[in-house]
Amino acid sequence: MIEWISKQVVLYWDIFKYLLPAVPYTILITVCSFVLALILGLIVGVLRISRVRSVAYLAGLYINVIRGIPLLVQIFFIYFGLGGILNLDRFFAGVIAVGICYSAYLAEIFRSGIEAISVGQHEAAQSLGMTRFQTLRHVILPQSMRIVLPPIANEFIASLKDSSLVSIIGMRELTRAGREYYSQYFVDFQTWFMVGLIYLIMTITLSKVVKYLEKVYSVKGFGSQKT
Amino acid sequence: MIIEIKNAVCRFDDIVAVDNVSLDIKKGEVVVIIGPSGSGKSTLLRGLNALQSFQSGSIAVDGIKVDKNSKNIHDLRLEVGMVFQQFNLFPHLSVINNIVLAQKVVRRRSSDESEKKAWQLLEMVGLTDKAEAYPAQLSGGQKQRVAIARALAMDPKIMLFDEVTSALDPEMIGEVLEVMKELASKGMTMLVVSHEIGFAREVADRVVFMDNGKIIETGTPSEVIDSPKEKRTQDFLSKVL
Ligand SMILES: Nc1ncnc2c1ncn2[C@@H]1O[C@H](COP(=O)(O)OP(=O)(O)OP(=O)(O)O)[C@@H](O)[C@H]1O
Ligand SMILES: [Mg+2]
Repeated sequence: MIEWISKQVVLYWDIFKYLLPAVPYTILITVCSFVLALILGLIVGVLRISRVRSVAYLAGLYINVIRGIPLLVQIFFIYFGLGGILNLDRFFAGVIAVGICYSAYLAEIFRSGIEAISVGQHEAAQSLGMTRFQTLRHVILPQSMRIVLPPIANEFIASLKDSSLVSIIGMRELTRAGREYYSQYFVDFQTWFMVGLIYLIMTITLSKVVKYLEKVYSVKGFGSQKT
Repeated sequence: MIIEIKNAVCRFDDIVAVDNVSLDIKKGEVVVIIGPSGSGKSTLLRGLNALQSFQSGSIAVDGIKVDKNSKNIHDLRLEVGMVFQQFNLFPHLSVINNIVLAQKVVRRRSSDESEKKAWQLLEMVGLTDKAEAYPAQLSGGQKQRVAIARALAMDPKIMLFDEVTSALDPEMIGEVLEVMKELASKGMTMLVVSHEIGFAREVADRVVFMDNGKIIETGTPSEVIDSPKEKRTQDFLSKVL
């Protein structure tokens, strides 16, 4: 019994050491694609509420099309479909696919965050002579950010998990490293248990960080709408 | 005439909120608009700041003329300060930064210059001790005084006040009216929608009574408030006095 346990511990430790170098790639893919998603999402979210009907319509179309297609299919499409033409490597194809996919979800979050701010705020800013862009930049978005921080953080955690899909095009991140280990040593239970555990540790750590940030950012009685 | 409103009409679906209104206001004049709820007072005021567009007619503030085809609403807003019933302070900014923001981004003033101006105005409204506070930490009367300072910081040529004391507890109304009186005595052109008949009597050069989107009667406070000619004005005043 003791012997079995110590063997298992050694095996798990061995798997862990094998997987660990792949973790930075998972983080890198997630961070890069999420930065892309934030930029695209903010732009599309703002365009979505443009007064120019056709612009708002196109932004809506983008959101609905992207959200209506499985991420895995988008990864295939960008890597094999566009990648062949544009000569994208695995990393960029993966980052672009995950980034675009999440930008559609973030766009909706940004849009609702902007719409949550009362008309009175727009009117006050405009009566002071601010343009629509200045109003958005200095008055609306800073208030929206506090509203959208928690849902955006949730999307970040979700995108960390979804980055595992990028393994399918051969990008060597955590899930891919798991597959490699398994195909060398054929220990499926222990391998996938360890892969799952590492993801879990990362997501739990992140949600703890988010909780902490929310506390820090909820300052000075801010949040009452009637001001 | 610093304000010229000519045959302004504003419709919402089947309601005519402002019905062919013409009104001229001289520089330095204080005009108080009274009238029942829904009579179009707010709509008229918002039109002067292009927060509301008129379907026909035109308005001009200090020679800047705006009608339904105009693209110069931004020029108009620079000359017009507005204070709202619901304060609409920026909750994410401290009091001082509420007053500084538009000076910097719209008037392109330096930080030093904007802050200096903000402090002067806080002095005027008696709130220098609240400069670093956030709106949520202020009473209603304090918020409204900050809102007045914020509008004044842009050096507007006219000031619009839309029921600025209506959301306040009774004991805070006085402090806001005081600031408005001081402003009037300094020669600011003011167009004030208010139910404060006492204020109108004391400060207004002219009182305008509106009903159903139309100006029914206009004259000095004693003419309109004490001896109204029109039946509708009499009915309204008998209810509020
Ligand atoms: N954005 C809008 N959409 C539709 N109808 C509107 C809108 N704004 C105002 N109205 C209508 O126009 C009319 C005039 O409204 P307005 O707010 O100007 O009245 P008011 O004199 O300011 O009333 P109060 O004393 O209640 O503030 C009302 O019948 C109102 O319902
Ligand atoms: Mg009103």
